[in-house]
Amino acid sequence: QSLEDCPLDEDEDAFQALGEEDEDIDQFNDDTFGAGAVVAELEDKAGSSREPDGPVGNDGDVLGDPEDALAERLTRLVIDSELEDPAIMQAVHTRDPPQPGGLNSSIWDSSAVLRRIRGPLLAQEMPSVSVLDYALPQRPPQARDEERDPSERALPRRSSSPIIGSPPVRAIPIGTPPKQAAIPNFNQQILCPKPVHIRATMQQRYPAPYGERMSPNQLCNVPNSSLLGHPFPHSVSPVLTHLQRAQLLGGAQVKLLPAGRMSPSQFARVSGLVGSPLPSVNPKLLQGRVGQMMSPAGGFRAFFGAPPAPPPSQLPHPPGPGSHLQNLRPQPQMFRPDTTHLHPQHRRLLHQRQQQNRNQHRSLNGSGGDRGGHRSSHQEQIRKDPYANLMLQREKDWVSKIQMMQLQSTDPYLDDYYYQNYFQKLEKLAAAEEVHGDGPKKERTKLITPQVAKLEHTYKPVQFEGSLGKLTVSSVNNPRKMIDAVVTSRSEDDETKEKQVRDKRRQTLVTIEKTYSLLLDVEDYERRYLLSLEGERPALMGERKQKICDMYDNLRGKAPGQDRPSDDHFMQIMCIRKGKRLVARILPFLAPEQAADVLMATARNLPFLIKKDAQDEVLPCLLRPFSHVLYHLPLGTVTSLVQQLTNLPQSAAAPTNLHLTAVLQNKFGLSLLYLVLSRGEELQSSDTNTELMQDNQWTELMLMATRELLRIPQGALAKPVSIPSNLISLFSRYVDQQKLNLLETKLHLVQGIR
Amino acid sequence: MNYMPGTASLIQDIDKKHLVLLRDGRTLIGYLRSIDQFANLVLHQTVERIHVGKKYGDIPRGIFVVRGENVVLLGEIDLEKESDMPLQQVSIEEILEEQRVEQQAKQESEKLKVQALKERGLSVPRADTLDEY
Repeated sequence: QSLEDCPLDEDEDAFQALGEEDEDIDQFNDDTFGAGAVVAELEDKAGSSREPDGPVGNDGDVLGDPEDALAERLTRLVIDSELEDPAIMQAVHTRDPPQPGGLNSSIWDSSAVLRRIRGPLLAQEMPSVSVLDYALPQRPPQARDEERDPSERALPRRSSSPIIGSPPVRAIPIGTPPKQAAIPNFNQQILCPKPVHIRATMQQRYPAPYGERMSPNQLCNVPNSSLLGHPFPHSVSPVLTHLQRAQLLGGAQVKLLPAGRMSPSQFARVSGLVGSPLPSVNPKLLQGRVGQMMSPAGGFRAFFGAPPAPPPSQLPHPPGPGSHLQNLRPQPQMFRPDTTHLHPQHRRLLHQRQQQNRNQHRSLNGSGGDRGGHRSSHQEQIRKDPYANLMLQREKDWVSKIQMMQLQSTDPYLDDYYYQNYFQKLEKLAAAEEVHGDGPKKERTKLITPQVAKLEHTYKPVQFEGSLGKLTVSSVNNPRKMIDAVVTSRSEDDETKEKQVRDKRRQTLVTIEKTYSLLLDVEDYERRYLLSLEGERPALMGERKQKICDMYDNLRGKAPGQDRPSDDHFMQIMCIRKGKRLVARILPFLAPEQAADVLMATARNLPFLIKKDAQDEVLPCLLRPFSHVLYHLPLGTVTSLVQQLTNLPQSAAAPTNLHLTAVLQNKFGLSLLYLVLSRGEELQSSDTNTELMQDNQWTELMLMATRELLRIPQGALAKPVSIPSNLISLFSRYVDQQKLNLLETKLHLVQGIR
Repeated sequence: MNYMPGTASLIQDIDKKHLVLLRDGRTLIGYLRSIDQFANLVLHQTVERIHVGKKYGDIPRGIFVVRGENVVLLGEIDLEKESDMPLQQVSIEEILEEQRVEQQAKQESEKLKVQALKERGLSVPRADTLDEY
């Protein structure tokens, strides 16, 4: 197979086309694991069977026919071949069935079983070598067709992925010493078979520039590369005898006359497993011969802790290879495996010597030096990190394409709420900055996530003609019920009290969660309103209203026709931390009467709530929404509120006002009381024609309240969140000056006294 | 090329030295060579670093392929800052020994704790038997 078969442009187009196809959402999945991968296999067999090896192709033909006939029969059978479900393989007769190769072709070969792949990428896909082919060195590509067995095809190949670039598996016996003193036989079959699938970059690679140096992944892909039957010396015993060295060198001379090739001995240095130096090979010798040098063996050491490379003098540094091969990103950090543990002084010396050698070398290779001049940074990077760019640009693009696909969403605010909000915040900041500052506009790259329209996929089951019923194939998009799980509801009798309590609590939790979902929807309506069309808006509003009602019902418990009988349900919710927060968030949406109702219920049961809140201390979160609600309440409501809060008037029999005490001793309680009082005062002072009844009620209440406030010891009072300013004027109406002063000091009403 | 600004994509991290923390508590340091969409990592010239107190030891491991779901976090190592670390490197045997000693001490204290609680009639609930409600 040849380098020329590698269409660089086609691949890029194919990738783009791939991105634009939104019907094949599962394309990558297919490519990797499913039908797509298998078809790619077929294509490559088609490619290989085009080879001059005659008999194999013929065999394939014979077998091909009966399978084609089967395919035709199947097509006739299937009525509805327009399967919506891309995850199901269809029986479609492909126009150009690729030749199944070999006698032992497996079922995967059958074109009848495979769906015609619509992606342009695969149609033009390069025939790729299977992983196993690559790893088993002795089998040349031509012989591949002969002994196929299904087990080899067990690995579905990724049609859009290139070959692994690392040196062949067999060639690096990690951790095991070479069994014999391996003499490389350069005439033997290549260890690393000529890769059929050549990566795009190789085309440019071919006219190898003089004085170029290669990293391992490049070596694999250069035809006739020096990965020829070369036993990798590895870390344990890299020592070669004189004889071997001589042979290496001899071999080097024989093999590598064409410029731009690697010598095996150089390749020995490439291997990352050369633990200790190869002192034998004289760099100067190689230099003269080939004009191409490898980076020091030390640079390839596998592990950080290993001793440093051979003394720097032995390590000449070549001018870097043509960097047009590799998509190098500016790397701020230099890869320095050999120098990580050197003393800084030593490192500096090493570096100096490296510089010297580099300069020396430049003078030797004139042309290399020219090229090297303006690419020194790249060269340095490559010199220091020969394993760089194992992951090709194409693979990186592949991964980032998948990541972009994952970001596709029909409703980004639903799928990725936090990111959207965060991004908006950032943009606002940036906009604000731009307005204020007159500095240059910073170019900020934005990630644009593709918006995908929501497609409704309805699954229509496949039907065979002449048969009753539908054939249901279970797939990702149409899952089949595998387990028949029966829900058994318990009877009330055999539950213990604890279980009942627990269940009740769980029910409350469920209610909270449901109400939260409603709340999130309601909060979202504003945004949807802005995005929607005119005609849809009334419907939206209606929905919203309905949801608000539902929320309220959930909060208070469904009243069975009568007025709210008990606060029980509400109390249950309020006992839970999340419930309190929920109420705080819902309050702005409720109608005034409903909100007042909630307030009332809270005030009525405040001591209980306070007790329950002792650990969480979440009640203060309710203050702000409560104050908003208060703003709209009439005096009558406010009065009753105060009544509830203070539990006044009390019956004469009750010695102490525990309710009030509890309220006053709690931060939230006291703050709420102040708020209510303040509101009452506002109403009093502003509204000139209030009803007399109400007025009286209020006044009486105030008198009692102030009396209580005077009574209570200062130490028992909590520290309120805020103290409204009009409390002084409030109290001044009902108490004389002396008592007013007392109140002032006690409650810290006067500004400045804190 | 700025890959996917505003996102956490590993593409920009390729060929750089990283520290990877795994779910089983191991710390790996290696050059990140390849990734995929699951954040499976290929680490090159990997070293497993064991920390005990102010000492650490490195075990060379070679090439690691880590399944993405087992990674807790990973971060790029600043090569310059790496050279001046306040920690002291020791040999592998020593660090393994230290680790063993530390484990033992922890077990001892745990045992004492459980004992003390038992004496007082309390029991430490195991994580799997905790029922929140």
